[in-house]
Amino acid sequence: MTRAASPKLGAYAGLAALGLLAALVLGLPELVLLAAPFALVLALDTVQVRAPHIDVEFELDRERALEGELLDVWIRFGPGAGAEQIDVLLELPPDIGIEEGTNPSTVRLVAGEERFLPLRLRCVRWGAFSLGRIHLRAHDQFGLFRHEAVVDRRQPLKVYPTQEAVRTLLRPSETQVFSGNHVARQKAEGIEFADIRQFVAGDRVKHVNWRASARRGELWVNEHHAERNADVVIFLDVFAEARRGGRSTLDHALRAAASLAARYLRQRDRVGFVSFGGTLNWLLPSTGARQLYRIVDAMLDTQIILSYAWRDLVVIPRRTLPPQALVVALTPLLDDRAASALLDLRARGFDLVVIEVSPLELVAPLRGEKREIASRLWRLRRDAVRGRFMRAGVPVAVWDEDSSFAVAMEEVDAFRRHARTAPV
Amino acid sequence: MVTSIGCIGLLVTAVALLGRWAALLPWGFVGAGAGYAVFLSLRPGAVDERAPLVAAVFFVAAELSFWSIERRSWRSEGQVVVRRLALLFSAGLGSAIVGGLLLLVTSGRGIGIGYEAAGVAAAVLTLAVIAVLVRRSRALVHPPRRGG
Repeated sequence: MTRAASPKLGAYAGLAALGLLAALVLGLPELVLLAAPFALVLALDTVQVRAPHIDVEFELDRERALEGELLDVWIRFGPGAGAEQIDVLLELPPDIGIEEGTNPSTVRLVAGEERFLPLRLRCVRWGAFSLGRIHLRAHDQFGLFRHEAVVDRRQPLKVYPTQEAVRTLLRPSETQVFSGNHVARQKAEGIEFADIRQFVAGDRVKHVNWRASARRGELWVNEHHAERNADVVIFLDVFAEARRGGRSTLDHALRAAASLAARYLRQRDRVGFVSFGGTLNWLLPSTGARQLYRIVDAMLDTQIILSYAWRDLVVIPRRTLPPQALVVALTPLLDDRAASALLDLRARGFDLVVIEVSPLELVAPLRGEKREIASRLWRLRRDAVRGRFMRAGVPVAVWDEDSSFAVAMEEVDAFRRHARTAPV
Repeated sequence: MVTSIGCIGLLVTAVALLGRWAALLPWGFVGAGAGYAVFLSLRPGAVDERAPLVAAVFFVAAELSFWSIERRSWRSEGQVVVRRLALLFSAGLGSAIVGGLLLLVTSGRGIGIGYEAAGVAAAVLTLAVIAVLVRRSRALVHPPRRGG
């Protein structure tokens, strides 16, 4: 622990010395009485001062939490030498708030007794954090000296984004070869009825359509669509974000991405993840609960890093974007580089869907004629970008704060059901 | 004159408390003490019998003033506050009792050259001890750098 003197030390020394000197010079014994308490406190405190040995541990309720959840933490003081008065500060990131308890706080540690300092925290925003850096400041009885130390007992804490409600998932236009929950175009063993055809040697009796066979006078069998899985790649545009207060387009996009990943993985699809921006982060498509954790962990590392470098799809490893994969892009459409990359994806034949996380509500209202014109031009430009996607046969749904993510997904689904894919 | 010096001292203390300037605070007490010293020197007769009480009040006021300007925006634990108040009360009471006893002992005896010499020697010794302690505490706070 590092020792520091408080301003009181100098002040008391000065008062004691001045009082005694004045008593000597002026021949007033009363001034000795006036100076005596200061001199005594100074002498006692300076002789007694010792650096306290404080044994501190930090305990975290759990290592994983969801946005908005409460988390219990304890600062445990071991049965050490004790301290008359000790200021304790647990360093907290801005996205973790205090719900119950006092931080910082001043406590007394009794020698030989264990002491717990409980705190209840609220995980305000998603992210990967490490908690447990504790600042200690021990004061002696009269507060002339203080001993300071920083104890590092950091433990990782991952706060996952909450999930958006998703009613229906987009069906990929192409499926893969493994069994899953999507009805494939190909005819094979399955449940969904596809067609009937004439019986050929090798057909199973259970597939015979007896009604059709009776009408035609020969054996006809039912054909079915196979149930297959699909490859889904969640493409996150992290070139830029719009942020206002505690809300940002990136937060919304991450929540939606986590929801989509969880839902697609639950129905045995392979899900991959690409965050495309100032930094590139990717995960190869895979299945299972482990992949969900991998994706969410990768999301926690996602952040907006300003970059002027032009990026295109060349930087993304080829295996990250398997052929016939459904690419769900979540973008605020704030950066042309992301729009170009997505159009390039479409041009390469990927089944692309764009969910625009609207930044309009997060932009401060512009007043004044020139600013209003600038705002209108910006909106028109956004419409133009949207138009480019529509012309390329890419459905674009605007997800704003007034509507839910499920509505945007329904909108895209409706477009895909009714619109024909544009020639590429 | 006494009132004006005392008022200046109180004013400086008030300014230091309002501005939370720890460096200015002792000067306020110096002013108040100077007022008391002027009052004593103008006052004819024997030793002021209220001096132990004044000393206790002076010390408690200094402690409370420094407590109030501590840079702490959070509440301390109840036990800490109670113990600190108890310590303050005890220190004030102790200084009053010890001062009273000292006053009682010295007032009963005639003043001779020997006692005066002993008093001066004790005062000089106390000052020397304070100087040594302050120097030692500074050495503890700012230890000399190794190497170089």
